[in-house]
Amino acid sequence: MSDLTISRRGLLAGSALLLASTALPTIGFAQTPKKGGRLILAADSEPRNLNPAIVASNGVFFISSKIVETLAEASFDGKDGLEPRLALSWEGAADGLTVTFKLRDGVKWHDGKPFTSADVAFSALQIWKPLQNLGRTVFKDLEAVDTPDELTAVFKFAKPTPFQLIRNALPALSSVVPKHLYEVGKIEDNPANNAPVGTGPFKFAEYKAGQYYRLARNDAYWGKDEPYLDEIVYQVLPDRTSAAAALEAEEIQLAAFSAVPLADLDRISKVPGLKVITKGYEGLTYQLVVEINHRRKELADLKVRQAIAHAIDKDFVIKTIFLGYAAAATGPVPKNDPQFYTADVPTYAFDVAKANALLDEAGYKRADDGKRFALKLLPAPYFNETKQFGDYLRQALAAIGIDAEIVNNDSAAHIKAVYTDHAFDLAVGPPVFRGDPAISTTILVQSGIPDGVPFSNQGGYKNADLDALIIKASETLDTSARTELYKEFQKKVAADLPLINVAEWSFISVARDTVGNIANNPRWAVSNWADTYLAG
Amino acid sequence: MNRLRRFLQTPEAIAGAIILALLIVMALAAPLLFPGDPQAIAGPALLPPFQDLSLPLGTDRLGRDVLAELFHGARTSLAVGLAAAAAALLIGSVVGTLAGFAGGLVDDVLMRITDAFQTVPGFLLALAFVSIVGPSLGVVVAAIALGAWTGPARVARAEVLSIRERDYVAGARVIGMHPLEIAFREVLPNALPPVLALSSVIVAAAILTEAALSFLGLGDPNRVTWGGMIAEGRTVLRTAPFLSVVPGIALVLTVLGVYLAGEGVVESTAVRRSLS
Repeated sequence: MSDLTISRRGLLAGSALLLASTALPTIGFAQTPKKGGRLILAADSEPRNLNPAIVASNGVFFISSKIVETLAEASFDGKDGLEPRLALSWEGAADGLTVTFKLRDGVKWHDGKPFTSADVAFSALQIWKPLQNLGRTVFKDLEAVDTPDELTAVFKFAKPTPFQLIRNALPALSSVVPKHLYEVGKIEDNPANNAPVGTGPFKFAEYKAGQYYRLARNDAYWGKDEPYLDEIVYQVLPDRTSAAAALEAEEIQLAAFSAVPLADLDRISKVPGLKVITKGYEGLTYQLVVEINHRRKELADLKVRQAIAHAIDKDFVIKTIFLGYAAAATGPVPKNDPQFYTADVPTYAFDVAKANALLDEAGYKRADDGKRFALKLLPAPYFNETKQFGDYLRQALAAIGIDAEIVNNDSAAHIKAVYTDHAFDLAVGPPVFRGDPAISTTILVQSGIPDGVPFSNQGGYKNADLDALIIKASETLDTSARTELYKEFQKKVAADLPLINVAEWSFISVARDTVGNIANNPRWAVSNWADTYLAG
Repeated sequence: MNRLRRFLQTPEAIAGAIILALLIVMALAAPLLFPGDPQAIAGPALLPPFQDLSLPLGTDRLGRDVLAELFHGARTSLAVGLAAAAAALLIGSVVGTLAGFAGGLVDDVLMRITDAFQTVPGFLLALAFVSIVGPSLGVVVAAIALGAWTGPARVARAEVLSIRERDYVAGARVIGMHPLEIAFREVLPNALPPVLALSSVIVAAAILTEAALSFLGLGDPNRVTWGGMIAEGRTVLRTAPFLSVVPGIALVLTVLGVYLAGEGVVESTAVRRSLS
């Protein structure tokens, strides 16, 4: 329980969490790691494509980050929040046109071939830039990768690109795959996408659909004495209630990504031998957002959007829907981000009377039945919490005379309805903040994004000022000037409400006491687990 | 009166009738006892039953009144059950009568279509239909009827096959009645009793199917349904089991009531037949 209170307070204290966490002893025991053993954990989805260089998403990283490594990983205490993986150092030129990576020596692919700068060049130019969901934006100006020797890769950009952005993108976007396996045939159809080959501490061993993924120890791993575990088995348990039962029955030793429902945590934290851990997800913050279709004339009116923001009781959302495992949001950057967050933005206190007054002012008077107008509300189906917030929002809107009709869809239909067909008035979405607003946050409000791009501005919002600010920030090389521009960005978004940020949340792990070195970096669940061990 | 007395002779029928009557009272009284939206947030979240007099059955994860939801859920369950059964019986008896009375090619075509629908499990059909068209109350009713009309169609056809050889049908032909008029005014009414005997089974199955669809998130999200309540409660099954148990009991009692009452009706008519 003590872990839990520390983290709750930490979330509220925002960036202080990162500072505080470095001072805390690592969770687990102060014993030396033990070698051997098989870690069995719950997996709730079965991604078909396991290539993290193409599909940069947490569902894929959860499994493949142990097999395929990135150039650098997020870190609580490393410089700029990073620690080396395949790259030992990285340096950006002052003109923003080149970034030089020095690579680790003596690294071998799982098939025995040596890892060289040619692999990095190939991954960057042939996969990250043209094929990767996130890399398309970040590496759009990457022109060439020079390889003066086997352990040096020099990224050349056509336009000045902020080094801060590239740095922040490294943990999620820089998975390196072997050139010798990918250079023949079409990259998307390569068999290694389903049975990945990498340089990581574990090798892909086996996948049985509907049952498990098995990873085996890589004996030739570059880390000294690492990895400690012999095997990692992902037991496929799509039903969330079964993960808790499996933990109690000691069938699995770990359930990450909140596989145990929040409502069960209080009970399970009292089970002897199990611990609830809220750390280790600081770099994977999800944001609860109300997406707005500005094509609706009512919603194009700022007063109406302000009224909706005032109608939402964030405190209720945090306490009742997230059971305290979340923080109220003020704007498009989460509070726990150490670089960009600012609290100096317009805020919207829960105030139903004010919301009603704003709607009256906007000219939408209540009709005889007490209703002002009707809306279609599409809650994203990915999380219990997004669905529950949809139910709550319907009630909150009813209190201010807006009659919202909920439309439920499965994942594919939801993405099509919101991001391609624009068949929504309000939607509840969970975008992810990935350490830099330019990676996946500014596209939520920027105009001119083609139809069909998921998790982007598809609400028809257009604000020339904001667009100019986003472009200027993307070209600003100076780190502090760039950070200031993103603070300005947060103010503008909170003032004009292209979307409404409600809450920020992350995940919870539940593990047996025997699992050691848990949650020792901000992206722990999707890091390589080379130092994870089983005691006793 | 005789029939009613005979119906009330079996204890099962009495039990079924009482449950059904209670359920109908619940459904009718829901808007009077619990005016306003039953999904409105009424109190603190996850309040256990029998703690607060104003919220006797407690509240769910968002603090909604479980008793109000239960009453309003009875409306949805009954409405869907009855509407789907009515639609299934209507479609089934029309198709069955046409097939049986026309015979030949029409019979073959209609019965092969019936076969085709029968080979696909009804629940699967409903699942596919709702996920394509999108969940709303009307669509759910249509989806359930889609899988339930084949039974009545077959029974109706079998009855019609025997009735159409009767003298009064031949008589109707002789006086020059249009064949469709004979089929629907003379034959169908006489073929109906055995078809109607299926209704209790169909209503019970329809209520269960609706609950199952809602459980899977394919019910109308803007209405309270028992299946939806069970699904919501499932995530907190270990900490607040009453959220699933309460609507579960309601569902079991309802289906049992409909079934027992239906049995009672069938038995009382069977007795009458054997007496005459």
